[in-house]
Amino acid sequence: MYKNKKSGVFGIIITTIILILLVVLSNIKANNVSFLENIFSSIVMPIQNGLTYLKNKIEGNNTFFTDITKLKSENEELKEKNSQLEQSLRELEIIKSENEVLKEYVNLKDKYDYQTVPAYVINKSINNYSKTIIINAGEENGIKPNMTVIANEGLVGYVISTTQNTAKVQTIIDTAASVSSVISTTRQAIIVSGTLENDNMLKAMYIPTDAEILENDKVETSGIGGIYPKGIKIGTIKQIVNTKNNIDRYAYVETAVDFSKLETVLVITNE
Amino acid sequence: MKKILAIIMLIITFFIIYFLQANFFTWFNIGGVMPNLFVIFVLFIGVFVGKKVGLALGIIFGVYLDIILGNSFYISGILLGLLGLLAELLEKNFSKDSRITIILLIIAGTVLFEVIFYIYKIIVTTKSFEILPFLKILTIEIIFNILITIILYPIIQKIGNILEKLFKNITLRYF
Repeated sequence: MYKNKKSGVFGIIITTIILILLVVLSNIKANNVSFLENIFSSIVMPIQNGLTYLKNKIEGNNTFFTDITKLKSENEELKEKNSQLEQSLRELEIIKSENEVLKEYVNLKDKYDYQTVPAYVINKSINNYSKTIIINAGEENGIKPNMTVIANEGLVGYVISTTQNTAKVQTIIDTAASVSSVISTTRQAIIVSGTLENDNMLKAMYIPTDAEILENDKVETSGIGGIYPKGIKIGTIKQIVNTKNNIDRYAYVETAVDFSKLETVLVITNE
Repeated sequence: MKKILAIIMLIITFFIIYFLQANFFTWFNIGGVMPNLFVIFVLFIGVFVGKKVGLALGIIFGVYLDIILGNSFYISGILLGLLGLLAELLEKNFSKDSRITIILLIIAGTVLFEVIFYIYKIIVTTKSFEILPFLKILTIEIIFNILITIILYPIIQKIGNILEKLFKNITLRYF
């Protein structure tokens, strides 16, 4: 295929560079992009500002001064609305903290009743459609199938199978996983499942038509289903997708656990 | 003796690929999508070593992967065995000395493996199809596999010819 050795080597080098660029660009984080954005904008924006100022001058853009009375009244109205909103926010915050204290109290017993075995994640899934992990604790450590696995931040998954020294865990982000859960605030039942779309996002389905769900609502396990104990944090609702008839609406739940950085877990050995 | 040694080398290569896939490619990926080096490897065995070895090693490797990380469906074993078997049959109609042929084989192999794997998983778990995310992952995976094949092509061809000579007793090749 290669006509000469030089062009063959050149082709391989070019392909390698393309591959590395693809990997680097696709994994670049939003923060890094905004850093670059800052640099680029600091070059362009001063000139752009100057040009806009000049353009406004030339066009005689002085509407701000002519509409000053109207703006003053609008400003007063907005100030009033703002103080009303601040008042409601304060009230909501008080209710929220009271609610959290009560929830803490209710779940306290359960939380401290768990006996856990710590373990390290020693292997992650090797294909793009399964999200199972292997941990370095097994039968010798008292781990059995169907035990719940958690991390400091929340739910990880459950043990599928065990060997003497390791255990295979199906994470909640696996597309085969479904977890019976509830919205912490309204206590309405939903089902969250793994999705191919994002490794740190779950899809919340079977949302009751009368359920009032809001973005940033917390989701936790319901205790129904026989595997996961009640009250373990799963994540936070990030986006609600409404449909025409409201029956098949769904939401995206950001997992409490960052699965890309998951290194240590706890296996609940008693529930 | 040489054949046994070659098969041992292939098994060692499988474990190297396994560790690459489980470690290196978990961070060296395109938008979170990893390549599937097992598909490339089993196709390589099927094309250069032959369908019998391709089928046998494909099944062994696949079953091993299913036991270690799968959900005991044994689908990887069946699919990798099938790829090892099909590789030689497909190769007979094309020239393996063409890079394009190998790339087409890799595309066909990746699509066959991933589509059946995903459909099987959906049927077993009774979940709904996520067609668009699946197609996105599949496309990136195919591109990733193609780029790796292009980079490794000279090595693939060189080692492949040695293995072919050993297993198929081919002493003269026409270009």
